[in-house]
Amino acid sequence: MNTDRVSAQQLLGISVCLVLSLGAQLTSLPLWIPAIVVICCLIRLGLARSGRGMLPRGVLLVLAGLAIALLFLRFRTFNGLTAGTALLAVMAGLKLLETRTKRDIYIITLIIYFLSLSALLEARSFWLLAYLIGVCWLTTATLLRLTSAVPSPDWRTSLRYGGRILVQALPLTLVFWLLFPRFAAPLWQVPNDSRTAESGLSDTMSPGDINQLALSDEVAFRVRFAGEAPPVRERYWRGPVLHYFDGRSWTRGVYSDLAGAPPLLPQGPAYQYTVMMEPHQHRWLFMLDWPSQWSVVRAGLTSDYTLLQLDRLSRPIDVIGTSYTRVRAGEPLTIDERRRDTRIPKNRNPRTLQLAAEMRAAHPDDMEYVQSVLDMFTQQPFYYTLTPPRLAGESVDEFLFGTKRGFCEHYASAFAILMRAAGIPSRVVTGYQGGMLNPYGDYWILRQSDAHAWNEVWIEGRGWVRIDPTSAIAPSRVEQGLSDLASADEALASRGPRGLHWFAGAQLRLDALRELWRERILDFDQDSQRDLLQILRIPEPDGQKLVILLAVAMTLVLFWLTWQVRRELTPQSRDLAARAYVKLCAKLAAAGLPRMQYEGAEAYAQRVAQQRPDLAQSVTTLCRHYSALRYAAPSSAVTLGQFEAAVRMFRPRPRGG
Amino acid sequence: MGTLRQAAINRLRARATRLHGRDVLPASINRRRIYILPSRFGIMLAVILAAMLIAGLNYNSNLGLAFAFLMGSMALVTMHHCNRNLMRMSVDVTPEVDAFAGREAVFEFVLRNDSNLERRDIEVRCSSAIGLGSVPAMESEPIEVVVPVARRGVTRINQFELRTYYPFGWFYSWTYLQGSLVIYVAPAPAGSRTLPSAGAQGHASHSDARGDEDFSGLRAYEPGIPLKHMAWKVLARGGEAAVRSYSSLAAQPEWLEWSSLPGLDEEARLSQLCLWVLECDVAQRPYGLRIPSKEIAPSGGAAHRFACLRALAAHGQSET
Repeated sequence: MNTDRVSAQQLLGISVCLVLSLGAQLTSLPLWIPAIVVICCLIRLGLARSGRGMLPRGVLLVLAGLAIALLFLRFRTFNGLTAGTALLAVMAGLKLLETRTKRDIYIITLIIYFLSLSALLEARSFWLLAYLIGVCWLTTATLLRLTSAVPSPDWRTSLRYGGRILVQALPLTLVFWLLFPRFAAPLWQVPNDSRTAESGLSDTMSPGDINQLALSDEVAFRVRFAGEAPPVRERYWRGPVLHYFDGRSWTRGVYSDLAGAPPLLPQGPAYQYTVMMEPHQHRWLFMLDWPSQWSVVRAGLTSDYTLLQLDRLSRPIDVIGTSYTRVRAGEPLTIDERRRDTRIPKNRNPRTLQLAAEMRAAHPDDMEYVQSVLDMFTQQPFYYTLTPPRLAGESVDEFLFGTKRGFCEHYASAFAILMRAAGIPSRVVTGYQGGMLNPYGDYWILRQSDAHAWNEVWIEGRGWVRIDPTSAIAPSRVEQGLSDLASADEALASRGPRGLHWFAGAQLRLDALRELWRERILDFDQDSQRDLLQILRIPEPDGQKLVILLAVAMTLVLFWLTWQVRRELTPQSRDLAARAYVKLCAKLAAAGLPRMQYEGAEAYAQRVAQQRPDLAQSVTTLCRHYSALRYAAPSSAVTLGQFEAAVRMFRPRPRGG
Repeated sequence: MGTLRQAAINRLRARATRLHGRDVLPASINRRRIYILPSRFGIMLAVILAAMLIAGLNYNSNLGLAFAFLMGSMALVTMHHCNRNLMRMSVDVTPEVDAFAGREAVFEFVLRNDSNLERRDIEVRCSSAIGLGSVPAMESEPIEVVVPVARRGVTRINQFELRTYYPFGWFYSWTYLQGSLVIYVAPAPAGSRTLPSAGAQGHASHSDARGDEDFSGLRAYEPGIPLKHMAWKVLARGGEAAVRSYSSLAAQPEWLEWSSLPGLDEEARLSQLCLWVLECDVAQRPYGLRIPSKEIAPSGGAAHRFACLRALAAHGQSET
């Protein structure tokens, strides 16, 4: 049976499955790879349609060599998910070209299964999983049509049968998925394809340039507080700290160490929370200002309190952290740090420096000076806008004395320069601020539009003090966050979850669902399995207990499966007879002779016979047949099929009709 | 690898014989005697599944694992379905068939399906010959197995096999049935000698006259009967195809004798005798067979023909 030739129809079926399975890879593979596969499918189908032979072996070899060379030129390796998937896909296409027998198609089905898996390895979407299960279903139905002898079952039968097997496999799948031991660490380091670009905040800031982040609705991270959430004035999520200004751009400088930050003395309550980071391909993690503990092993605080990982964040992680929103410094500023954070570019922004000198003369006290600068932002007509005019040349001068329009970056940059010009150490902190509570999931969503920049100034005796100059011009900015300020319907979020616009509400519900999917399904791991064992009240949960549980559960499910599969062998004619009888009763009821609850078949037939002599004979016969089929020993005179047919034919006319 | 596999199969077959003893046909297949193994395709699938599992674990991808587990579970479910496909079927077959050397013997296995499920793709394997068929729910279905036979003799097949790759070809389950099937392989009819009666032994009058005038009645046409015996008039009147039969020949039995063929080797003699048997049968002449191992008294008809052919097939073989 393995050497049977394949028909054009079978080829079409498998081609469709192959292309559909590649459909899930469209975003991750270069487009020419699916294109090659589609072309292979079309060539093969064309050859089969026209009844011409196969491509000559030499041509196939040349094609295969070309394709592999192309792949190598593009990827430089066949290790790694994308390159491996691309290779597999192209191989499937080439295999299709040389497909003669069913055995070739068997190999293609295996490739389809593996391609589907590879699309899922780094995926997180429920819909993708559902789609690929659909593809697998279709492939299996195609396989059934292929393996089955002539006449092969039609599509409906095949799909129904494949679906039945799929459904019967679900309980076993669930048991495996829940109980199969997960690795704590991968067997080998997964090569990072870095096919996703960096996103979110960067570690440079150029106030004169256009800012795209503020308009992006994309989620940066989500946060769930263990207890009370801190007030919005204290919900600053710390990212990279920028020290160096060249007159136009702020940069972070290079950290050579993760030696840790100078100690801080907590002044207020500690907040415990979980940050659920979306991958952004940077090394830093966003923690509530100021972080004191975190659950990530390969990460540490920089000297300016940014939590930095050793690796780039390429997959979503959860970080459990503890922070104090009010602290004071435990140690004085070092000379190096003081020099670094008071440096200003020479001969740039002269008017700003002059303004700073004038104001400093009036306010020798550091805090008073800070306040006077903030007052200037409040009193003078400074505007907050997401679409400020571009700044050229002396960007700070131009902003302070010219446009007076900008968003957080402009204010933070100008403020830092004004501080430094007065000899007060100052730096720019970037991160996120505020966030939106999702009432359906009890967590906060921080979007890219919540990105923010603020300042820290060093005040002797207090240490680094957070100053948010943007809040000086628009107090509502800090209270409500950027997204609400920018949006036209400002009242939307402030009215609270009850008054949410239905669309926003639906979005939040969807986000809560997505979060549940992530938490329960995507992030299911060893710890979750341990929790599961604890829920089942298994003492001292460990890997061994898990395996035992898996074996037990598997045995039970397999018993069920065996029973389920064999049960279908037993003729269920009694049930079928009952179903036909119900139909008969329904027909009689429609004719005005409903069966009473207490009536058996014979009694019912008698009553019908009395009331409708014209139906007497047929109804009596049918009811007797039903009794025989239902209650007598098998091998009665009337078969089920005959009974069913008779019921189908039976059409009582309503009385008088 | 191949020989190892063959050895394992032989042991299994011997074990099946030992365990189940001879089956009384029609035999019903209970689940204890159904074996199952992954096919070559199934082994490839297992390798892919293992790769899928490792990839899913290594990437710590719960979706990938879910998919891998789903595929694995489907394979396990398929195993049950494959096993079920043979369960509680019953098999019957006419255990003795006749054939000529160099031609084919045809066994007609009747599979009966007393369940509500269609049993698709059932193979009946009988000494390297395979018949394939499907049995609809609650029905019986004949499946022909065509066994090519090369040599004259009595061939016994003590074991045959029911096998299925349904549904996806990942597994095959099979069962051995211990029935004794016999093929009587008559020698290939061949030879150039004329019938003894046509020789110079004094029966010339019969051969000249061919008994044409001794018309005794009509009988149903069978393929192989010379067309000149056809009762065309009957056919023209709209009757069934019939041939005239001649009673005169019944009176003069033809003895087909081993000893009348000197100068030929054993197989050639048997072939010649076989040809004569067929010629006499077609010509409706009573004939008897006398060979060293057996003597069959003159008679006619299908049963007699079979008896003679079987005697020729069994010649030189100890029949037990």
